[in-house]
Amino acid sequence: MRTFLSFLLLILSFAARAESAAPSWLESTLYGNGKINVVVAVVAVIILGIGIWLWRMDRRISKLERKS
Amino acid sequence: MRNWWKFLGIGLLLFASVAGFWVPLAPALVHVSPDRIAPGPVELTITGYNTRFGPGALVSLKNADQTICAKSVVARDAGHVTARFEIPAGMKENLTDVAVDDLIYTGALFTEELGSGIESSICPEPYPSPTGFTFPNRSILYESIRNLHFHVPMWFTMIALMGISVFQSIKVLGSNSLDQDLTAEMAVRIGLVFCVLGLVTGALWARATWGAFWTNDVKLNGAAVTGLIYVAYLVLRGSVQDAHKRARLSAIYNIFAFILLVLFLFVVPRLNAIDSLHPGNGGNSGFNDLDLDSRLRMIFYPAVLGWILLGCWMYDLRVRAARLANALDR
Amino acid sequence: MDAGYHFPDPWSHGNYLRPVRTAEIAALLRMEVALDLRQRAAWAGMLLYVVSAVYVCYLAVKGGLSLATWNALFWIILLFAAFNALARSFQREDAGRQLYLYTLVDPRSVVLARALYNGGTMVVLSLLSLAIYTLLLGSDVLEDADLPQFLLAVILGGIGFASVLTLISAIAARAGNGIGLMAILGFPLVLPLLLTVMRASKLALDGVAWSVTSTYFGGLVLLDVITITLAWILFPYLWRD
Repeated sequence: MRTFLSFLLLILSFAARAESAAPSWLESTLYGNGKINVVVAVVAVIILGIGIWLWRMDRRISKLERKS
Repeated sequence: MRNWWKFLGIGLLLFASVAGFWVPLAPALVHVSPDRIAPGPVELTITGYNTRFGPGALVSLKNADQTICAKSVVARDAGHVTARFEIPAGMKENLTDVAVDDLIYTGALFTEELGSGIESSICPEPYPSPTGFTFPNRSILYESIRNLHFHVPMWFTMIALMGISVFQSIKVLGSNSLDQDLTAEMAVRIGLVFCVLGLVTGALWARATWGAFWTNDVKLNGAAVTGLIYVAYLVLRGSVQDAHKRARLSAIYNIFAFILLVLFLFVVPRLNAIDSLHPGNGGNSGFNDLDLDSRLRMIFYPAVLGWILLGCWMYDLRVRAARLANALDR
Repeated sequence: MDAGYHFPDPWSHGNYLRPVRTAEIAALLRMEVALDLRQRAAWAGMLLYVVSAVYVCYLAVKGGLSLATWNALFWIILLFAAFNALARSFQREDAGRQLYLYTLVDPRSVVLARALYNGGTMVVLSLLSLAIYTLLLGSDVLEDADLPQFLLAVILGGIGFASVLTLISAIAARAGNGIGLMAILGFPLVLPLLLTVMRASKLALDGVAWSVTSTYFGGLVLLDVITITLAWILFPYLWRD
């Protein structure tokens, strides 16, 4: 029920353009929970990015080990 | 032990990341409803974040230097309190502050029917409650202020790695060593990884706080220009076949571009210091007062150092892999 | 290619304080002018490029232009004209002739002479472009503009393009890849300059007082000086073995 409500709010926030009315407090926090989810998303992106880099490095080194 | 700095980097990152999530946000008032008051009785609902409103909550309105006490206060839960007021006519300023215990929401209420002032009442003084170690609670940002410890160090790391690259490039011009050229290139590559991470995380944060993934802001322009310069560096390297010529040409471009970039990142914003959405520049109550905030600084500086050391570790691994590849090719 | 001629290291001991050799530079400048006069077709080409670009904009716009758009469009056209004009500066001569040149003169004099000549070319090109642009796209924006300031912005912008792109075109020519590589290398470096000069010229068009805009012009001059100094320091390394 809560996810449906927050999803609905998200859709409504697109409908209510920012220029027309002052956004309600819930809309301005976006995604709810005081925007902690933004921090979670940022950290996830960073860990994912570095993880991908580590994976490629690992493959590179494995290829070198196989060559020698 | 030769790798002490790698352990230090991970340790600092662990500390900064855990603290970055664990430290609670300071309590603050975030919403008052309704947001206009007129003379007469009115019932205000005040919402707080991380607050602990209890039955003894003291609510008052402040306008200029005059105070109005609440007639009755009901604390609905730790985050919501309802207060009844009798608003007199003739207040001085058109924005009234709301105060609950020792928290104040400035300019919360638009006031009608102004005048020359009212008789101020003496309200009971709340005693300040200690909140422990907290992060500042700013409107618009709220919890995303924690991104200071994750997004901003991406840029510091990128600049550090590009600095290492330029240092190596200068040495290449003097010594013509291909190994130093290799280290310069790898530093640029790792720096670009952090540039991409910084751009993506910045776009995410921007969408949540400013409403758009990208805006015409001088810091964003600087980030884009940096990315373009170093991608052009890699394109230049790709278009020259002879190893020594490639080393020299890319070193010259690296030094030239880095100095112009430093000028652009630090000098031009001084010129165009007017409009910027970034906290701290332009008219934003932003990171200027936050940067001076020692609570944030205590986590931020170790975070930057930790991320830079991690970037150096990645650079070290990359260089070793490239050297091995070269040795095996021969 | 470097046929075994070893240039003395221009920055070896004792060379730091060698003064700028004005006689050499003057001679080189005379040579550049003579070369250009002989290849007048090149100038015709540059002007034709500007006229075509302005005409396309004129056809595309059709109505009145707001001040900001007028300003932006002008600088975009000038940017691409600058790339076009400056790409040829190091490409005209082949490597053999350049090698011969560097046995005669200090490479640093060459880069200074070229930078000065490019600067002059850009000033002329900028002013001509402005004339053509005003002719086709209307000069009513210039009504309440601070004209001396605007002209100063245009001239400083042109010199800025020249100073950044001189070394870049040398690098691109040496890499053997011509105008494509020069555009890729040069564009990110020219972007900050472009932003500053666009803002300065917009302020000039708005008729803002000198006290406000002087910081921009000072910054542009500083940028030009630093860029040319960098080019002067780095250019000799392009030709070492």
